Amino acid sequence: MQPASSLPLGQPRSAGSPSFVRAGFLGGNEFGLIVLIVVFATLFTLATKGFASPFNLFTLGRTMGIDILIGFSMMVVIVSGGLNLAVGAIGVCAVMAAGWAMETFGLPWPLGLAVCLLVGAALGAVNGEAIVRSGVHSFIITLATMSIFFGGMVFLSRAEAFRELPPAIAAFGKLRLMGFLSPLLLVAVATALVLGWLYRFTSLGRRMLAAGASPKAAEVSGIRVDRTIVGCHILSGVLAALAGAMLTARHGAAIPSMAGHLGQDWLLPAFLAPVLGGTLLTGGKVSVLGTLLGAMLVSMLTNGLLLLRVGEFWVQAFLGLLLLTAVLLDLGRRRLLARHRIAV
Amino acid sequence: MQSMLGKAANTDWFGPLVVVIAAVVVIGAIEPTFLSAFNIQVLLSAIAVNLVIALAQMIIIAIGQMNLSVGAIGGLVAIAFAGMMEVWGIPAPLALVLALAIGLAGGLANGFIVAKTGISAFIITLASLSFFKGLNLGITEAQPFYGVPDAVKAFGNTNMIGPIPWLVLPAAIAGLGIWYLLAKLRIGRQILAVGGNPHAAELSGISIFQTTVWAHGLSGLLAALGGVMVVARLQIGQPSIGDDWLILSFAAPVIGGAVLAGGHVSVAGTALGVVVVAIITQSLVLFHIDPFVVQVVLGALILWAVGINRWREVRVERRLRGAS
Amino acid sequence: MSEVVLQARAIGKSFPGVRALDKVDLTLAKGSIHALLGENGAGKSTLIKLLTGVHRLEEGELLLDGKSVQFDDPHAAIAAGIGVVHQERNLIPRFSVAENIMLERLGPSVLSRVDQATLRAEAKRWLDLLELDVNPATPVMRLSAAKMQLVEIAKALSLRSRVLLMDEPTASLTPHETEHLFTLLQRLKRDGVTIVFVSHKLEEVLQICDSVTVLRDGRNACQSQPMTGMGRQDLVRLMIGRAEQIPAWETRDRTTAPVALQLDKVSTSLGHQDIDLTLHRGEILGLYGLVGAGRSELAKCLIGLFPLTGGKVTIDGQPAAIGSVAEALNRFGLGYVSEDRKQEGLVLAHSVLDNAGIAVWSKLAGFLGFLKNGQIRERVLPAIERLEVKTPSLAQQVGLLSGGNQQKVSVAKWLAAGVRILIIDEPSVGIDIKTKAYLHELIRALADDGTSVLLITSDMPEMITLADRIAVMDGYRLTGTLVNDRDYPRMSQGIMNLIHGEEQDAA
Repeated sequence: MQPASSLPLGQPRSAGSPSFVRAGFLGGNEFGLIVLIVVFATLFTLATKGFASPFNLFTLGRTMGIDILIGFSMMVVIVSGGLNLAVGAIGVCAVMAAGWAMETFGLPWPLGLAVCLLVGAALGAVNGEAIVRSGVHSFIITLATMSIFFGGMVFLSRAEAFRELPPAIAAFGKLRLMGFLSPLLLVAVATALVLGWLYRFTSLGRRMLAAGASPKAAEVSGIRVDRTIVGCHILSGVLAALAGAMLTARHGAAIPSMAGHLGQDWLLPAFLAPVLGGTLLTGGKVSVLGTLLGAMLVSMLTNGLLLLRVGEFWVQAFLGLLLLTAVLLDLGRRRLLARHRIAV
Repeated sequence: MQSMLGKAANTDWFGPLVVVIAAVVVIGAIEPTFLSAFNIQVLLSAIAVNLVIALAQMIIIAIGQMNLSVGAIGGLVAIAFAGMMEVWGIPAPLALVLALAIGLAGGLANGFIVAKTGISAFIITLASLSFFKGLNLGITEAQPFYGVPDAVKAFGNTNMIGPIPWLVLPAAIAGLGIWYLLAKLRIGRQILAVGGNPHAAELSGISIFQTTVWAHGLSGLLAALGGVMVVARLQIGQPSIGDDWLILSFAAPVIGGAVLAGGHVSVAGTALGVVVVAIITQSLVLFHIDPFVVQVVLGALILWAVGINRWREVRVERRLRGAS
Repeated sequence: MSEVVLQARAIGKSFPGVRALDKVDLTLAKGSIHALLGENGAGKSTLIKLLTGVHRLEEGELLLDGKSVQFDDPHAAIAAGIGVVHQERNLIPRFSVAENIMLERLGPSVLSRVDQATLRAEAKRWLDLLELDVNPATPVMRLSAAKMQLVEIAKALSLRSRVLLMDEPTASLTPHETEHLFTLLQRLKRDGVTIVFVSHKLEEVLQICDSVTVLRDGRNACQSQPMTGMGRQDLVRLMIGRAEQIPAWETRDRTTAPVALQLDKVSTSLGHQDIDLTLHRGEILGLYGLVGAGRSELAKCLIGLFPLTGGKVTIDGQPAAIGSVAEALNRFGLGYVSEDRKQEGLVLAHSVLDNAGIAVWSKLAGFLGFLKNGQIRERVLPAIERLEVKTPSLAQQVGLLSGGNQQKVSVAKWLAAGVRILIIDEPSVGIDIKTKAYLHELIRALADDGTSVLLITSDMPEMITLADRIAVMDGYRLTGTLVNDRDYPRMSQGIMNLIHGEEQDAA
């Protein structure tokens, strides 16, 4: 530990000190993820034919954009110390509602998007209110609502997809900037910037972090923890809806099964990205950049392994192992840091 | 004086039991085929399988954790069981033992990692869910195994006595076994003690590690038994077995009064929870209602049950405060 | 001196950012009652955890019957005959009394059948020994706090402990139950059991203990001294490193200043009845009482964490119906420094800046809730500087600071928010003497500048040092108010009389 001198406040820690290297950026998850991304990108470029082709980069970027949003939709509730199993169900419900509105009333796509995000926000609010009012853990509440939202959606839609959407949506999904860049990735990066701003520079974001890290202390300090938690779930709903909208742009249609049974297919990417990125599951600490990089790494590994002709199914087993490895490495890193602090 | 009825009303099984009786009477009156021998047999088969699945989750709830990989273990065991018999021609009894051993190993691995690292069971079992499911799909390439021997098929589809299917037998053994374990054996008491107050349990010299590994091992074993029973009932080793277990596995224990924070579960309550779910599912089929409404009903049942449990907790607390 | 059972030599223990114990010695004689004393944070609990295998021993040596031992886990300590009754409840709520008592001995192997009848019979013996009239089959969650405490003692006894450590065993007992416990402890002592008795109540210590070890700031202030000839003042001097002297601050009278906070026949959902209190501008009003008297609870009701059920609260002459802490802070300028710093006072994982700034965010937030770190820094820095918080930077994680500096941050938070009424709950729990003196000066200076302070403390010298007037609380009611004339013996006597309901002596 640094010598406890009195009040060298406002001055940054000397950048050359060893503690900066260990606890700062270079020792953080973000740097590790960047290294891994570079290493694997190089490996895949060398080992496969198509990895660096403009078309593959385009499809990879598209997938990344969606995975990043899915990761964010979970990250924003993990921050509050909870979780949201219903992200997939909310995402699908939101786009199905928007698809229905666009097909039935001929709404233009911006209004369709608005409907989609509003439905996401509303379902998120339902989750948040149920959690706060019942005092029951978010796990069991969102497990129940995931079943309710998804079942209700399939019942209402008769499991039929909406394929007659405004052509602009599919066109957006197919749009290629500079031959290789998908605008979906740009949407994700823009969202990341907004979230980074939220947590760093707004009182709402700060409140979310404080409520997640220590709800009692936050409450005693004058933060309305209940409202803040509902806010986290609304944000989660909106982000899940946005992820759904992006997926719809990719498919060119709103399909009930696009997130699997009950939306369960989103769960693994939703947790992988924040956990790889160093967002604490206990709440109170967030890394937007880490989540972004985590999702990028996962999408890239999936893409690269598929190009290497590792069967699609084995990739899932691999991702499970990746999550396990990530949490174990993180644990090891944390223990090392803790021991170091004691020893000095 | 507290009447017998008043006492019974405070137990975990009373609420679901009332619901079950009322549902049977009402549905039976509207639709007499509901009580036909055939329908009862279908109902009992579903109850038997689902009870084993619910117990696999219940034992983990008892220790204050959760196991997302129950379905994935069940699915992997199911295709392993069918695959061993079809591809390697292993006789059914041996295949059964090996299949159960796979489930046990999967559960022990979960428990070992959770206990050793102290990372939340949620994240560990999410990882292992994905791993087991990936293994399942990697082995089968999403194609079922069809070569299930006739004896196994018969076990899953014939009756023992009257309208009671054979499948009820393993489910009853599992149910009684888990009840006995939790109520009478040291390991069962340890599981409930760790779930009730892990800190106190540890200070009393109970090994949290040992207890956690046991609970997860049992959970894996039960999930495996569930997988095998589904293979017997469906007559094929379907890779998608287990995909839809998650909600059900939580719904039944919670309806049966389990405290999600750990330390309190009820086998009888869980069994009745399974029955409630089965009756609702079956009557939706009977009345030709979209089966997806089941999902809505299941979710609503969970919310309703946690609401009730919460209310009961608050009431107990208030009564205790009044007494002291 | 008689035969030594357990001896600790040069024991040390560090936690991240804190040196909890440094070269501590302890010698326990067979068949004696040994007091382990020290202020909060002096290291008593850490020492107990090391002796009972909860923490691993890394520095120093433990000798049991003269032989070196190492306890890897609580089980090993139990097996060696070292039993403990911890301060916090360690019972399984839904298990029966019998099963809780016998939790270590449910069966030889994990698959053994638990014989409830035998457990009950065995448990009954120990309950009878304590003359505790409960059915062994009752779930402990149905017992009162005092009975739970006795069940824990029965549990420790049943392990046939040769050394029995008791951390504040009388905290939740009535005087009658306490007397009963003492009779029992004397009997155990005659049977050759060594008892380590940790208590804040020095009168109890003087009554039953044979020898004493005092810890101060993680070091021995005295090591296993015989109790004979020692008085209350000697113990206090050892604990705080000086006699209970009161700084020569002049007595202040603020009762002519305008009223800042007035409570009129207030009752609360937590059980307070008919509380009348008046706090003047710039006054320090002490609120004294024993643990469980309902002082912190009253504070929590005042800041809006729990609802009031009757009476009137007036702040600066305005009727105040406070529904949330946010309202208390933003509308009425009312802040609360919690006694539970780690749970309620601070977000330990966050930085100094975020903790000290948490109460000003809502004031500084601009368009769309936009916050500038610079602005927060501007608001927070004067408070941090005034309190002389020792931190490498504002970005330092609060959890890594020392207890004293943590406490300074949790006070700085409210200074930065510019509160006019500050409720401070146990300001010196777990902080060193120097910081404590510093905090006292600060509280006094705050009051001189016009902040009204409601001071809750169980530390009598602290109370008499700081308060202008002292209100005494017992059983969720106010029993009286004294004007503090800073005469220690008279004031402490007056306060004790108010607690025990003898108002005739009150000033």
